[in-house]
Amino acid sequence: MNEQLVSMITQLVMEKMGNNASDKSYHDTAVPTENQKETLIKFHNTVANANYADEVVSPSTIEQSNEPLIKLYHSESSNHEQSYYSASNDESTYTSVPITEFKFEEDEVSESVQAAKKHTPARIGVGRAGTRPKTKTWLKFRLDHAAAVDAVYGEVTEELLQKLNVFQVTTKVTDKEEYITRPDLGRRLSDESKALLQSKCQKNPKVQIIISNGLSASAIEENVQDVYLALQQSLSNLKIEIGTTFYIDKGRVALMDEIGELLQAEVIVYLIGERPGLVSAESMSAYICYQPRIGTVEADRMVVSNIHKGGIPPLEAGAYLGTVVQKILHYKASGVGLVAKEG
Amino acid sequence: MKTEKIYSAGIDIGTSTTKMVVSSFLLKNVAGVTHVPRIEIIEKTVLHQSPIIKTPFINKEIIDMEKIEQFIFQQYQLAQIAPADISTGAIIITGESATKENASEVVHAIADTAGHFLVATAGPDLEGIIAAKGAGTVQQSKNTAKVIANIDIGGGTANIAVMQFGEVIGTCTLHVGGRLIEFQNGIVHSISPPVMKLMEKWSNPLKVGDSAEDARVTQLIQEMVTTLAMTLSGQLTDEEHPLLLGHLPTWDKPVEAVVFSGGVAACIYENDCTKRQYDDIGERLAKSLLQHEQLQSFLWLKPEETARATVTGAGTQITEISGATIQVDADVLPLKNVPVFNCYMDTDKNKFDYTIKTAVERADALFSTQENRSPFALYFSQLPYLSFQDVHAISKAILQHLATRSSKEIPIIIVIQSDYAKIIGQTIQALNPTVHIICIDQIKVETGDYIDIGEVLPSGVVPVVVKTLAFHSK
Repeated sequence: MNEQLVSMITQLVMEKMGNNASDKSYHDTAVPTENQKETLIKFHNTVANANYADEVVSPSTIEQSNEPLIKLYHSESSNHEQSYYSASNDESTYTSVPITEFKFEEDEVSESVQAAKKHTPARIGVGRAGTRPKTKTWLKFRLDHAAAVDAVYGEVTEELLQKLNVFQVTTKVTDKEEYITRPDLGRRLSDESKALLQSKCQKNPKVQIIISNGLSASAIEENVQDVYLALQQSLSNLKIEIGTTFYIDKGRVALMDEIGELLQAEVIVYLIGERPGLVSAESMSAYICYQPRIGTVEADRMVVSNIHKGGIPPLEAGAYLGTVVQKILHYKASGVGLVAKEG
Repeated sequence: MKTEKIYSAGIDIGTSTTKMVVSSFLLKNVAGVTHVPRIEIIEKTVLHQSPIIKTPFINKEIIDMEKIEQFIFQQYQLAQIAPADISTGAIIITGESATKENASEVVHAIADTAGHFLVATAGPDLEGIIAAKGAGTVQQSKNTAKVIANIDIGGGTANIAVMQFGEVIGTCTLHVGGRLIEFQNGIVHSISPPVMKLMEKWSNPLKVGDSAEDARVTQLIQEMVTTLAMTLSGQLTDEEHPLLLGHLPTWDKPVEAVVFSGGVAACIYENDCTKRQYDDIGERLAKSLLQHEQLQSFLWLKPEETARATVTGAGTQITEISGATIQVDADVLPLKNVPVFNCYMDTDKNKFDYTIKTAVERADALFSTQENRSPFALYFSQLPYLSFQDVHAISKAILQHLATRSSKEIPIIIVIQSDYAKIIGQTIQALNPTVHIICIDQIKVETGDYIDIGEVLPSGVVPVVVKTLAFHSK
């Protein structure tokens, strides 16, 4: 996901192993670190993770805390050097060699592998060290996995909701753990939210757009603005009127049924964060359904998935969704029903 | 899942032969159900292959257009397809025929009458590429990762296209062909100008009237084959070489394998030249190629088509399908022979307006005159990742610099490399609902190319043919 970051972390580990890093080499490390900070905080959206990231990257924290960044062999940093030496028979190699900036060896993959890589985001042609993956591959894997976890536990920022000019409602879910273990609760609105929707939303809208973080807050953070603006424009070009858009915290897909029932919407477009994977933690889906009501079957729902920078470009997806909505309104059906009517 | 069928025709008017092929394409949405559609040609079927006829000439310099038209309509009848059903394909005039007086007139006239959407095209580089596609070499290069040269040797020229991983990495054309020296009753009947030029330094050049068995004929054939071998191995560096047509080789990787196509190649692989009803050096050229030592160092692969490679390529391989999410004004299609201007967008986002303004000005200077404004396509390449605001900035710039001059005859034509056509087209429409706009994507072109855009197919995509129209002069 982020090669520079991976190599930076590795460098920190290597320096700690050598443990005779001068202040200067710490300083050197800090330079690329600072540049990376923005990206880092993007990956680790939660407060807890942001702190964690700070601990890793900020040289000042490292020096102030006076604790080893990574405890090797579970020993204190003071006797770490000793234990390291005792394990080694050749002292001189470890004492006199100055620490140079760590760099991964250049990937030397054949042209065919490079050509194959253009066709897949999968981790192919990464080589191996003995029977295991190389450090770089492993760290990248861990980083991508961490980003996926962060996406699930992250939150959509208040700032984005203000920018989109949408208000927020909640489901019957109280916290993330419950959201994950009780999908049924994510499919029902809380009582206060129901009342709020009744008072704030336009009734019987042609198209009701709703947004939820679902399983990836980063998906919404990254993509929803472009998709939403493009979809709005597309619908307005097609002269299709839109209801009152709002944001649902911790919603599940089938929640659209209850909302459809409540607002008597003709079509609902539901923009929701997808379960993150190792290729992208920022993938968003748009679920679309004609007259979703309590009891609607899954076969009536349609989805455009894989909306993110590396998949379907958010803007193009938004523009395309408008034509899908137009078709659904024309045939008065969605999903399998639409395919049948289209012939 | 639903598919749709379209018909395509390919016509090749070569130095010595003319042939035609009619085929059908099956189009299908190949994207998963949860994705934005992606329409691709999933099946190509050749419905009818014409016999290979001699290219008819009125005299040495003028092609007999009427005879060619007769031939084409006769073939349509045999194929049981009406010309009006043809929605894509190409007519290509190649080799020395392209240098004839009425070459341009012939292809354009036939393109207008012989099919709903047939395009005129020529140019030695494109010929080589089309032949390579028709011979199946482009596909072979996708499968093997080797650098493969396809050498299409016809009557007048050898068109070389080199490719790797399915991408053409270079081209070169030589005056090497079967009809460069013709015989009649055992004596030399004609010698083409490039061969005459080659012999300029000779003290005793071959003349019309000399015996066909003359040692100098063999010497000339050897010279041609050696030049070809040197070209393939990157040793040809003389820009003034008499057998070179146009530019020096443009590929920069060593060629590993060779495939021969074209009329002469029929003698190489099939070992059967009886079909070739010409009294010329074609057969002997094929033999020399087979025996040449330096050429033997390459891996020899077999083509799928030999004599029909170019026509098959023109009929089945040059049509591309645009992205599925596009914005097109159906009323203004089809568009033929639209020149392309590449507008590099890898600039600062604040400079979009300036970049587009300069591109429009330069394109205008290139393609239009004061009184006569002609349409051109702006090609946006290397677009960075765009936000909604960026798209608005681009659309506003496009409208500002192009809207006033646009009309139904001169629509705004935008071609985009990456997948942004729908949103940009739609934004332009939102800003100005009356302007005529064609905005398509996922097509690769360059400045100097010409494109033809066909009528909208039921699945919402348009067929596109990218070509170069440069008629090489003598």
